Amino acid sequence: MTQKELHDQRLVKEANDKAMRFFTRRHFLRESAMGFGALAFGSLLGCNSDASVNAVNDFDAANPLAPRMPMFPGKARSIIYLHMAGAPSQLELFDYKPELMKLDGQNCPDSLLEGKRFAFIRGVPKMLGPQAQFKQYGQSGAWVSEHLPHFSTIVDEVSFLKAMTTDQFNHAPAQLLMHSGSARLGRPSMGSWVTYGLGTENQNLPGFVVLTSGGNFPDAGKSVWGSGFLPSVYQGVQCRSEGDPVLFIKDPAGIDRDLRKASIDAINEVNKQEYEEFKDPEILSRISQYEMAFKMQISVPEVMNINSEPEYIQSMYGTKPGKACFANNALLARKLVEKGVRFVQLFDWGWDTHGTSESGSLDIGLINKCREVDKAMTALILDLKQRGLLEETLVVWGGEFGRTPMQENREGKQNIFKGRDHHAEAFTIWMAGGGIKKGYSYGETDEVGYSTVSGKTEPFDVQATILNQLGLDHEKFVYYFQGRPFRLTDVSGRVIEEILA
Amino acid sequence: MFITIAEFIGRLHPLLVHLPIGILLIACLLQWLSSKQRFSELYQAITITLLCGMVAAIASTISGYLLRMNEDYDEQLVNIHQWLGISTAVISIIFYFLHRRNAPVKVRLGISVLLFLLIVLTGHFGGTLTHGSDYLSFSGSGETTAIRQKPIADVQEAMIYTDIVQPLLQTKCYGCHGKNKQKGGLRMDDSARLWKGGKDGIVLIAGKADESEMIKRLLLPRNHEDHMPPKEKPQLNEQEIALLHWWIASGAPFRKKVKEVKQSETIKPILISFQNNGPEKKLISDIPVTAVNRGDEEAINKLKERGVVVLPVAQNSNYLMASFVIVDSVTDSDIALLLPLQQQFIWLKLGNTRISDSSLYVISKLKNITRLQLDHTNITDTGLAHLRSLTNLQYLNLVGTKVSLQGMLALKELKNLQSVYLYQTLIKSSEWTALKNNFPHILIDSGGYSVPIFETDTTLVKPKKKS
Repeated sequence: MTQKELHDQRLVKEANDKAMRFFTRRHFLRESAMGFGALAFGSLLGCNSDASVNAVNDFDAANPLAPRMPMFPGKARSIIYLHMAGAPSQLELFDYKPELMKLDGQNCPDSLLEGKRFAFIRGVPKMLGPQAQFKQYGQSGAWVSEHLPHFSTIVDEVSFLKAMTTDQFNHAPAQLLMHSGSARLGRPSMGSWVTYGLGTENQNLPGFVVLTSGGNFPDAGKSVWGSGFLPSVYQGVQCRSEGDPVLFIKDPAGIDRDLRKASIDAINEVNKQEYEEFKDPEILSRISQYEMAFKMQISVPEVMNINSEPEYIQSMYGTKPGKACFANNALLARKLVEKGVRFVQLFDWGWDTHGTSESGSLDIGLINKCREVDKAMTALILDLKQRGLLEETLVVWGGEFGRTPMQENREGKQNIFKGRDHHAEAFTIWMAGGGIKKGYSYGETDEVGYSTVSGKTEPFDVQATILNQLGLDHEKFVYYFQGRPFRLTDVSGRVIEEILA
Repeated sequence: MFITIAEFIGRLHPLLVHLPIGILLIACLLQWLSSKQRFSELYQAITITLLCGMVAAIASTISGYLLRMNEDYDEQLVNIHQWLGISTAVISIIFYFLHRRNAPVKVRLGISVLLFLLIVLTGHFGGTLTHGSDYLSFSGSGETTAIRQKPIADVQEAMIYTDIVQPLLQTKCYGCHGKNKQKGGLRMDDSARLWKGGKDGIVLIAGKADESEMIKRLLLPRNHEDHMPPKEKPQLNEQEIALLHWWIASGAPFRKKVKEVKQSETIKPILISFQNNGPEKKLISDIPVTAVNRGDEEAINKLKERGVVVLPVAQNSNYLMASFVIVDSVTDSDIALLLPLQQQFIWLKLGNTRISDSSLYVISKLKNITRLQLDHTNITDTGLAHLRSLTNLQYLNLVGTKVSLQGMLALKELKNLQSVYLYQTLIKSSEWTALKNNFPHILIDSGGYSVPIFETDTTLVKPKKKS
């Protein structure tokens, strides 16, 4: 017997052993006894009459990313979500509060502090006036600060939500709430829900792409684009704008494309047999991921190469070829959407302006962050518009919460730079394109921007609106898991009709 | 608040009316059948049926009278209905006694026919009172939708009442304060009656919005009994209330244009939102209203085999969309595959493909197309001319193609066109004005936007040195 035959024999034996372990005598007895008992008990309780117990998720395991029809004709076909991780200060960007200026330096009134908890503020902080000059722009007369000179030229394209609230004042839970509808881990992110519901038009690219910039991941980590209880094929695929777009995308030296194809076919064949035996849908996910990875080896480097874009487009966004930066990611987002990618999620880290350090301050760090994104996000809107893509692409910009009208006094002491603490009760986000009103603002905060006065919205409402624009009813769009239907918006959420065109 | 016994009995009317209708019709039927030999034994049943029907008719008449006393209906209609109802009751009584007295068969047959006609007429007018005069007609809902929200190109030029206020009142108020019903005696569908107000007095005070009853009631908490519209009816949203407030505060003008009225900072963005898209515009306008048959499965599969994404635009819709985004080399023969589904396709994404003018000839047969993406293809003016027949076209993307001003002018007749994208085409910068003049109500996007370079884009702020 040659070495090879011996080896093969051992492999076969190993496979047989493994399979047998699933069908031992004990296994049989336990399954039969418990199984019959459970069946009998179940029918005694009349469980089977409940439709949800028998409900099957509408999901094609062999072809999980195939495009699917929406529930009703949606306005948007793609989403670009620009998340400024760390929470930009609404009071220095969009929510103009001249009254707050008058209170600058005074002690915060008790009425604002009673019964409230803050992440860092202790005792009685001082009020802090807006650290920027504001002007009105466009036909809609939207207030924008001097920090966003480019964005102020396109305010007539967007709808602001100025009375956003959340119930989390720490980054990770607030980010999770914003993107997965739950402040705790384990729920699928919005991009996963959307690709689960609608698939994606381009089978050679991932349906849900994540791009990060700012030097760090968002505090919630990769869970913020995770697939939760949905099949893992729906999780966000993180791509890089520096170096290879996806790690290990190149074939290793000595492996050519044909050999790669042959090996993937072989692996998939084994996986298919495995699936025949155990019927675990995750195996199918794995098969389709191998196939997608193979196709992506060609298509991803092509679409992710921003150098192929003409010079005037590059300068419009202010890209920095070869670097990982927001501008590169914004341009990539447009290229991906153009190629039919369903959901592009950008995270830009570094907006947490407490005033404890130079980069985390309102008078230095925030301005520098604005300079990093202002031009690129403006270019993104205009570029989508001139390609006729803005009508069917919904762009969302925002953070995970807002910032206090008070200057932060960490541990009761004045911070060395100008800064504001986390604030869950009021912040601003904006949306553009994809059937959203142009030049509109919804919701108001009080005269110091502490809490909402009218038109209050919350993350669930934003999620419901995003799904609605894609043609999905957030109340009917469910996934059955652990015996009950789950929704992205859980038990709340309202489509913000006011900002729909 | 409690309602009086009389009101309560009145509200039983819609329930009670069905009894005499049913019972008396049966009585008539029995009368007609019993004159035949085969059914002569049915004669026995007529007396008791008539008695029941007569009692029910009297009860309905009384409750109906009480209802009209306490609710406000169209005066003329309710009169007709009332007298017909009373006649029905009277005739049923006469019929009953004639029957008891064994009047001649011919008399009884005659009176039963009369009764039958009365029931039908009374029922019809009763229905008209509750459902409106346009309810029972094949033309769908006629009158109530006559004044539709028209797209407004320039809101400043729009008529403040007919273009903005009236469509709003119509959707939210006329149902109870219009032609068919005037609850509280208020009729709002013409200016004289609106000024006159209702039973509780005037509703509009020109220039004083906060003191006007109309605004006051809109702003009451939804559970308040005087809140309008009633809590179970569709409500006005904040912007709509702001609009009415602004209109009344400006003196409630009926014949002025928007630009002639002073506009506050809060009202401007709301007014702008009327431009291009009226607030009441339906979401699904981009799907044709008429239904279409299911597309041929085989034809769909042929397209799918070529890698084309073909999908219904929504669940329960047979209209289709197609995307060629991952088809490597689209040839004109691929486009021909669309033909068997020419009725079904409404959205077509053909951007970045190699199709040329001859494909557009095929596409021009897809009459229902509303969205067409032809960007970065080899098409020219020649092909574009074929699209003249696509009368439903709303969105046309021609970015990066060799079309010129002449080609575009050929599409002037497309009435439903809303947006055309013409970035990187042969249209010269001097021609945009001419083009926009030829398409006055359409979004023509020339593209070529630039974002200026500011020094601050690349410089970073540094902390000030402490001295």
